[in-house]
Amino acid sequence: MVIEILLTILLIVVVFSVIMLHVAYATYFERKVIGHMQVRMGPMRVGPHGLLQPIADGIKLFFKEDVFPETADKPTFYAAPIICLVAALTSIAVIPFWEGMAISDINIGLLFILAMSSLAGWGVVLAGWASNSKYAFLGGLRASAQIISYEIAMGLSIVGVMMMAGSLNMSEIVKAQAQSPFGIYAIPQVLGFFVFLVAMLAETNRTPFDMPECESELVAGYCTEYAGFRFALFFLGEYVGMIVMASVGTICFLGGWTGPFEVPFFPIIWFMLKVYFLIFFFYWVRATLPRYRYDQIMALGWKVLIPLALGNVILTGIMKTFVWH
Amino acid sequence: MIIQYKKKRGWLGTVFLVEILKGMGLTLRRMLSRSVTRQYPEERPEIRIGFRGQHALARDPVTGGSRCVACMRCAVVCPSRCIHIEYKKDEQTGVREVQSYAIEALRCIYCGYCEEVCPVNAVILTEVYEYAAYKRDAFYFDEEQLLKNWDRFIEESRYDPTKYVNPFWRPRGIDERTLAGPRRRSVPDDWKMENQWVGTGMTKSRKTGARCDVGGH
Repeated sequence: MVIEILLTILLIVVVFSVIMLHVAYATYFERKVIGHMQVRMGPMRVGPHGLLQPIADGIKLFFKEDVFPETADKPTFYAAPIICLVAALTSIAVIPFWEGMAISDINIGLLFILAMSSLAGWGVVLAGWASNSKYAFLGGLRASAQIISYEIAMGLSIVGVMMMAGSLNMSEIVKAQAQSPFGIYAIPQVLGFFVFLVAMLAETNRTPFDMPECESELVAGYCTEYAGFRFALFFLGEYVGMIVMASVGTICFLGGWTGPFEVPFFPIIWFMLKVYFLIFFFYWVRATLPRYRYDQIMALGWKVLIPLALGNVILTGIMKTFVWH
Repeated sequence: MIIQYKKKRGWLGTVFLVEILKGMGLTLRRMLSRSVTRQYPEERPEIRIGFRGQHALARDPVTGGSRCVACMRCAVVCPSRCIHIEYKKDEQTGVREVQSYAIEALRCIYCGYCEEVCPVNAVILTEVYEYAAYKRDAFYFDEEQLLKNWDRFIEESRYDPTKYVNPFWRPRGIDERTLAGPRRRSVPDDWKMENQWVGTGMTKSRKTGARCDVGGH
């Protein structure tokens, strides 16, 4: 029993360090990808091709002064970034990286992830409210409205997958997917996949839906008043959220750890490649699209994505009852 | 005026997000293309003839000083009034002698009028562009500093100081007769192309519109 607990803790530590390393180099990857898309080079100075840039950034953020606004609500202000990061990191626990390899392979994995991503939104709202600043406040308001709207679309887009797999357990979804005729759900669930991709961008507050932190209007949105390592916590939370969302997309629509052929000794390879592709997709969209206007975001969420996702649920139900059974 | 309106997209284009996909195709192509960044301290820009950089006074190989005759043309033509010259006039001969010559580089707008108007090819904007300093005083170039700037330019660029000609010393496109001063250096032959007025004898060929090779006339 004790050994089991110790082993789990060891596993958590390993996964945590790997995820943190991925987050650090996700920032590097983002700057490089967007740089090259804009015919620039991105970071080139720290280490060969700027490879040590994320480490330099981390050191800088760590040693910066921890500025605290006088009129802020202290406990809430301190708690908000922690809520953000913890909620994002907790989601990692239920993600199966390869067959049988998940920290906690619970039966309601998908629900758990949806709940945790809502909690991360709560951290953003609290940060905006506790900062006692108009920019942060507006950012927090926008975040709450946006996360509520797109949470629905995202949940509904995954319902089709749940119906086809007949399970909420992430591993079961992947196994059911591998036995389906196409091997991935992205083809029969193409509508759901589209809605998921858009809702995924909005849920993680990425361009073109980065209203909560749009720098041209709100300085930095909800994290305007944060400095140093508290800001870094938000940053980490955002990137972990991206990795979680990319993993959910991989597991629900792209076939998880299954691939065209088995790779011995390194079963995570297909999962990693798919997640990297989705993360690249985040950056690709960011480099291409301008930010939406706020009412356009709301209109897209409520008038297009939610009806589309509902239609997808009905369609999947009809197909499952009459065609695929 | 003809206004080219954007073609309206059809409903198919809207449903399949054709415009967004086109945009993403463009960014992907740009990502795979070569970046235009110049990694500055390692890769240096190619300096073209006629670059206007740090100020200098050309050092006369005969006297070792500047060639300035204190005609005050540069100080008068300067739009930002950053050239300060003091001179003493000999009562008998009327010859001017430069007492001090100074350029406030921080006020200069690098228009190059001073070197165009100089009748003796004394003042010049060199090709040196790296001259940052920690104090503002360092950009108040007095005569000595301006001569040093010239030495640095000659040393770094490896031009032959007896043959070096700055294009602005004999500006192209301006008739020789309208230029002041007889002592300007002549430009190399390969600059005398494209029906430009360089030196004398250009007016005739310009009238006929023929391509001219000035050297022969």
